[in-house]
Amino acid sequence: MKIAVCIKRVPDMDVRFKIGANGTSVDEAGLKFDISDFDGYAVEAALQIKEKANAGEVVVISLGADNVQETLRKAMSMGADRAVQLKHDAPVFDSFAIATALAAELSTGGYDLVMFGRMSIDTANQATGTMVAELLGLPIITAISKLDFDGGTVKARRELEGSYELVECPLPAIVTIDEGIARPRYPSLKGIMAAKKKPLETKPAQVGEQRYTLDKMELPAERAAGRIVGEGKDAVPELVRLLKEEAKVL
Amino acid sequence: MSAGHVLFTILFVCALGFFAANIQRLIGELQLGHTDDARWNDLPTRFGNFLRIGIFQEKIFRDSIAGPMHAAIFWGFGILTLGTIEFLLGGVIPGFSFQPYFIAPVYAFFALNQDVWAALVIAAVGMALFRRLTKRVKRLQGAETHPNDPLLILSWIAALMITMFAYEAFEMVAHPETLTPMLRPISFGVAMAFSWMSPSAAAVAHDLAWWTHGLLVLGFLNYLPYSKHLHVVASLPNVFLSNTSGPGPKGVMKPMDLEGDLEVFGAKDVTDLSWKSLLDGFACTECGRCTSVCPAHTTGKLLSPRKIMINVRERLESYAHAADKSTVADRTLLDGYITEEELWSCTSCGACVQECPVSIDQLSVIMELRRNLVLGESRFPEEVMPAFESMEQRGSPWAFDPGDRGKWAEGMNIPTMAEMAERGERPEVLYWVGCMGSFDDRAKKTTVAFAQIMQASGVKFAILGQEEKCNGDPARRMGNEYLYQMLAKDNIETLDKYGVRTIVTACPHCFHQIGNEFPQFGGNYDVVHHSTFIESLLAQGRVPIVQELHGPVRTFTYHDSCYLGRYNDVYDAPRETLRRALPVINLVEMPRSKDKGLCCGAGGGRMFMEETVGKRINVERAEEALATGADAIAVACPFCMTMMADSVTSRDANVQVYDIAEVVAGQLRT
Repeated sequence: MKIAVCIKRVPDMDVRFKIGANGTSVDEAGLKFDISDFDGYAVEAALQIKEKANAGEVVVISLGADNVQETLRKAMSMGADRAVQLKHDAPVFDSFAIATALAAELSTGGYDLVMFGRMSIDTANQATGTMVAELLGLPIITAISKLDFDGGTVKARRELEGSYELVECPLPAIVTIDEGIARPRYPSLKGIMAAKKKPLETKPAQVGEQRYTLDKMELPAERAAGRIVGEGKDAVPELVRLLKEEAKVL
Repeated sequence: MSAGHVLFTILFVCALGFFAANIQRLIGELQLGHTDDARWNDLPTRFGNFLRIGIFQEKIFRDSIAGPMHAAIFWGFGILTLGTIEFLLGGVIPGFSFQPYFIAPVYAFFALNQDVWAALVIAAVGMALFRRLTKRVKRLQGAETHPNDPLLILSWIAALMITMFAYEAFEMVAHPETLTPMLRPISFGVAMAFSWMSPSAAAVAHDLAWWTHGLLVLGFLNYLPYSKHLHVVASLPNVFLSNTSGPGPKGVMKPMDLEGDLEVFGAKDVTDLSWKSLLDGFACTECGRCTSVCPAHTTGKLLSPRKIMINVRERLESYAHAADKSTVADRTLLDGYITEEELWSCTSCGACVQECPVSIDQLSVIMELRRNLVLGESRFPEEVMPAFESMEQRGSPWAFDPGDRGKWAEGMNIPTMAEMAERGERPEVLYWVGCMGSFDDRAKKTTVAFAQIMQASGVKFAILGQEEKCNGDPARRMGNEYLYQMLAKDNIETLDKYGVRTIVTACPHCFHQIGNEFPQFGGNYDVVHHSTFIESLLAQGRVPIVQELHGPVRTFTYHDSCYLGRYNDVYDAPRETLRRALPVINLVEMPRSKDKGLCCGAGGGRMFMEETVGKRINVERAEEALATGADAIAVACPFCMTMMADSVTSRDANVQVYDIAEVVAGQLRT
């Protein structure tokens, strides 16, 4: 099976962000970048499908400036066979514009399965995968936690509130991956060395028209410091009053 | 020349030839290993080790019962070998004796020693058999050992001694005219018991004993290469060639060349180990001292350092003997003999290495195998993954924001190197805080305490703030050399940017890593642990402390950190610091302390792994500390602090765990 996994380079979320000077981007100084979490699950799931079948190819695709090459190498160090960079130096915010570029690339690849993370962990639009499916006229199953194949059919499980559903559709298809499907492997040094020699193709991205732009980015307001009401049981009535009147949680 | 001499000469030559062939075979097996650097450098240190540890049996005497016993056999063997040479030459050259070649008193001394030491050897062998068969000493047991081999060897040694006495005694009975009772008093005593024999019968008995002895000697020589008793041949060279007691710093891991085209990462099989590790396998005599002090083993984990070494030799021999080399790969050292679970149980505390009487380095085998698991196959306990990822992403094994690294210092008026450099100033020392000291709430109290001591003592120091990164020790000890070198090189670049020379740190892992392992990558700094630093400040009278000479007596016990103690021999500075800070202190020692100290359980990356098998190591250690009756436990390592504080407070809420810096800071005049 020939599988494409579309991955996004995102900043490490455990670091405090600063807004850049232009007010519409994150200050990248001191930030570390990696594959977006859900995309990492998708890469792992793709590799497991290939390993189980002991056949096929996993191609990773990312859109962006040359720094996405590092992200693509990481995916190849995990085991992806080759990579495609859709080169576009300026950031693109419109999911549809991104989807257009990806669809153009994917339409010529002859893929049986295209995988996305359920969403990127930085902008969390949850849109690109679905839009690509629409543009390519392919069936899509979103946010899946389990994946299986039966001949030319993909069978997927989707977690719902307190229950789950099993969905199937014919291949070729697009799936977006939720967490819980597989923990991404840690690249071995063997993998890292091998990845240096794997093919990474760079093409200009055919980004579509951007119909919306990012106006402003702001950090959430700092949380106010906590307050100690008092100690011992004498403080309880005051605490209850505050919870009722100020916090309005009781 | 009699027929007997001709026959013996033939046997002797054959035996020597067979022995030489076997040694040749063993050397060939060693050559299956990798090359190893620096084994012939610093000859004075090596000869020193050879004398202290080898000839004078320094480490053997760490066991006060088995020590003298083994030394008697070892020294006895050395002395008796001189007699054996005389004996063998006598077998080849009719009537040969050393006697005409030496002045009488020298020969008399030689002969007397033969008798006395043979008797001591018999006594020691008897004791050894008693320990194995009757007392069943625990460390001598173990599923991985070859329990019949030592019994055979001990009996063989006893038979050698008995036949020696027999042929000497029967010679006396057969030729009473040559009697020299003072030279061989014990043989003479035996001869007295057989004085009823006729000289001709005694001559026959002598020949019988002589031949038995001769065959036993030649047989013993040739049994050695097949036995665990090969240590007789291998251990002295091993002590000489070992680096476990120097030259160079102890416990240092070998750097991997990551630029080269590596085929195997670390070691998967014996052929990936250094020849020195293979020689370690030959030198091991399965005494079990390593395993008996292993914190993992003694708390019920699968790891046994002795088994690691036995496995190395077993695998090497099976590899070397396999006729069809294509089947050899079926059962590699890793997985085929040694399991992943054993390897991940190791805390890298170095107790096994410290204890080994023949300077075997069990740790380096464990670490090379770990490297293969991580770098080659990406196999490790899953809870380790976040630590690896965080070290890579954030420069700390814990997922804290690197921007918060210097947060503990807010309001303390402590400059960063960057700030000092901007002002064109240079600090006296750089305070390397470390990840725990920067982020862990408990360890931060130590950090602040140490900073306060330096401030109060007028030490001009700076920190790196968010430019500091994990030194990489956890990554390296967990086999992730790639990540380690990345961190080490980043840090060296930062340190060199500021021209840093002297570094103080409160973390023994940072201390060892930066001081002893960074030089592998060109980072050369004077690194001082805070225990040594505070002690010298106190000794110079620079620390303004309140000297309470009449206060209540507090009882402390100090828990040694492995990376400070065994790795770097810093045992006295933390204790001395406590004594100087608290002049009326009652410092009590745990049964296992200083170089016999028990690990807290956090080293070797164990800090980041679950401990689900057996008793928790920190519980074992806390119980030992509490049993001293101390009302406070002092540590000098943030890892030890976490482990001890966790286990102590849940057992006895009245006992506090302090870092030595906190104790001193508590005495500062305000």
